[in-house]
Amino acid sequence: MEKASHLSVILDLSPTQWHLSAQSSNQYPLSIHSFLSQLLAFLNAHIASKHENTLAVFGAFPGKSVMLYSSTDPVADDVPPADANSYSSFKVVDFTIVRSIMNEFDALGNLDEEPPCALVGALTKALCCKSISAHFHSPNAVEDPAVLPDPRILILSVSPDLSTSYIPIMNSIFSAQKLKVTIDVCKVYGPDAVFLQQAAHLTGGSYIFLERRDALLQYLTMSFLSPPALRQVLAVPKQDKIDFRAACFCHKNIVDVGFVCSVCLSSNHILFYVVKLWFTYMCTVFCQPVPVCSTCR
Amino acid sequence: MPSQRDGNYMNVDSDSDISLLGDGDGDYHLRGKNKGKGKAVDKKKKDKGKSKAKDQAYTWEASYTRSWDTVQEDEAGSLQGAVEDWIARGRRRRLLAPAAAIRRTIIRHLILLLDLSTSMMDRDMRPTRFDLTLEYAREFITEWFDQNPLGQIGVVGMRAGIGERIGEMSGNPQDVLKSIADRHRLEPTGEPSLQNAVDMARSSMSHLPTHSSREILVIFGSLTTCDPGNIHDTLDACVKNKIRISVVALAAEMKICRELCDKTGGQFGVALNEGHFKDLLFELVPPPAQRAMTRAAGSGATNPAADLMMMGFPTRLPDTSPASLCVCHSEMKSEGFLCPRCMAKVCDVPTDCDICGLMIVSSPHLARSYHHLFPVKPYDAIGSLADTPDAGLACHACARIFPTTALTSTSTEGMSPLNRYRCPECHNDFCGDCDVFVHDVVHCCPGCGK
Repeated sequence: MEKASHLSVILDLSPTQWHLSAQSSNQYPLSIHSFLSQLLAFLNAHIASKHENTLAVFGAFPGKSVMLYSSTDPVADDVPPADANSYSSFKVVDFTIVRSIMNEFDALGNLDEEPPCALVGALTKALCCKSISAHFHSPNAVEDPAVLPDPRILILSVSPDLSTSYIPIMNSIFSAQKLKVTIDVCKVYGPDAVFLQQAAHLTGGSYIFLERRDALLQYLTMSFLSPPALRQVLAVPKQDKIDFRAACFCHKNIVDVGFVCSVCLSSNHILFYVVKLWFTYMCTVFCQPVPVCSTCR
Repeated sequence: MPSQRDGNYMNVDSDSDISLLGDGDGDYHLRGKNKGKGKAVDKKKKDKGKSKAKDQAYTWEASYTRSWDTVQEDEAGSLQGAVEDWIARGRRRRLLAPAAAIRRTIIRHLILLLDLSTSMMDRDMRPTRFDLTLEYAREFITEWFDQNPLGQIGVVGMRAGIGERIGEMSGNPQDVLKSIADRHRLEPTGEPSLQNAVDMARSSMSHLPTHSSREILVIFGSLTTCDPGNIHDTLDACVKNKIRISVVALAAEMKICRELCDKTGGQFGVALNEGHFKDLLFELVPPPAQRAMTRAAGSGATNPAADLMMMGFPTRLPDTSPASLCVCHSEMKSEGFLCPRCMAKVCDVPTDCDICGLMIVSSPHLARSYHHLFPVKPYDAIGSLADTPDAGLACHACARIFPTTALTSTSTEGMSPLNRYRCPECHNDFCGDCDVFVHDVVHCCPGCGK
């Protein structure tokens, strides 16, 4: 008998990216409305698969991150009363999530320029959330029925990688690894996200790039619904290729062979002094000023 | 029935389980046995009482605090106050940590010097000093590699007057753990020789490049060292080679140990009890701040640092790729990593490529060290709601509602009575649990993402 499990879902809700995703010039356009309806069906499936299952949903909006729903919170008062045709737990989840997302979108207003999505904030919040951090606060309380084993985080990403958030995102990934939290990533739109690929690889989750975006729900239920313990039996798809190359911190180029400052000083820069690969394995161009690490002078 | 009693005696002696379950005769025997013990305990107790009565015969007794004396119950008999005090102490220690820029060594080389002399069989630490040392050494190695992924550890033992190489310098935690896994191979005997062991550790680190740190960590249980020569010469050689020696002593402070640490810039500590022993060890896990002096002497000019190391970032081959031989073990394998310079296949990273010698790391290995270089700023404790503008209702991280009234009447320094801690950058409030969690585990503020 499988045990109950905790799932935290992080939604990347960048208005620009979702607008681009819905455009009919794409091969398989996916609007946020159809995305949400498919997502809610998936969340309902998670709740329904076991009565004790818990759920938390976080939203990464431009410049801020918000907890949209948590099953451990008391139910809000203004949820419409249950009717005969719907299961009340499903209704509470659907209503709360949709309402919070709409509130946040309304609060965004008309921005001239969209700040980058606060994916890091949402990820750290998901880690701080009691269901996950409880393992750190009281490592002996494994028998506590409120603390479920094998928590996992599912990131539904549409934005491209943000190179400025590299360090915080890696820090979150390492802490997830330490807390034994599995991070799954579903790349709904946009190019492959290298950081999230590494997140999934390091924590033992799966990274899936959506090829047929009209079949989102099928991807979600087939790959992400089963808890980590069951996945070995089910042979869930994993990504094959992982990019382990680092980005140089002067030009943000991805490099094969770089120069790393051996000793580093804490300031706002990072340690790569990188040489672009000019010809086959011949390093030529130093970024300037030459080999002095700006970080440690 | 004396004869039967005799029979029981026999039984009891051959199998102690019976005596526990046994009838009156067995009990009688047990009582007989305990009598001696009880006396001894009584005697000890008396001794203790006497020494206390004599108003502390030894000066060290004055500074020795018993763990049960430091915990004070409040009027209601609750330990809440004591627990909060502990948390507050942790917070203050973090605040004391220098916020300014520190240069830390990322690539470390450490030789773990284990005392394997007979004094390690002492039972003043449970179960024995030796077993406890092995257990903590294992935890230490795991944690050390977690925080210093580019570091390497070697293990040397001090046993029967000589230094004994137990594990070669290795960057793979599994290799190092395997070298100290077999307890029977490390059975303590004889006298330790600090000089021999330090010399061995020093010679095995002499070839290392200058940008890496060289450290020796000694776990020393003995109060003597039997050396073939002058240990001060060894000490001078260590200073010259810029080897940093730290000592965790399990018995008492020895002058030579203290001098080893002071002259080479290491840390010295005497473990008071099991918990303190672990604390002393784990203080050595984070990379040490680098001393500017030694570096300036190293390369002379105003530009002391900036040794750039060439590193390659490999491509990972998936399980489904066609199998080929790896260059490190010559095994047929399908998964592996490709050296970006010579395209040779190696099994595991980080490593040096066997063909072209390029250091191969994956970018997560580098990233793992970053939180030492860019720590989260300590949060400010909020004293009262009156002087804080726009205070949020719930913790910004875990969304728990804050208490509106003060929890404790007594306000300890560095602790918020409202359980609110504010990030100086993004001005969001966090609860006490999240404050600890963010600084100790996540290393990234949920509000500002830095």
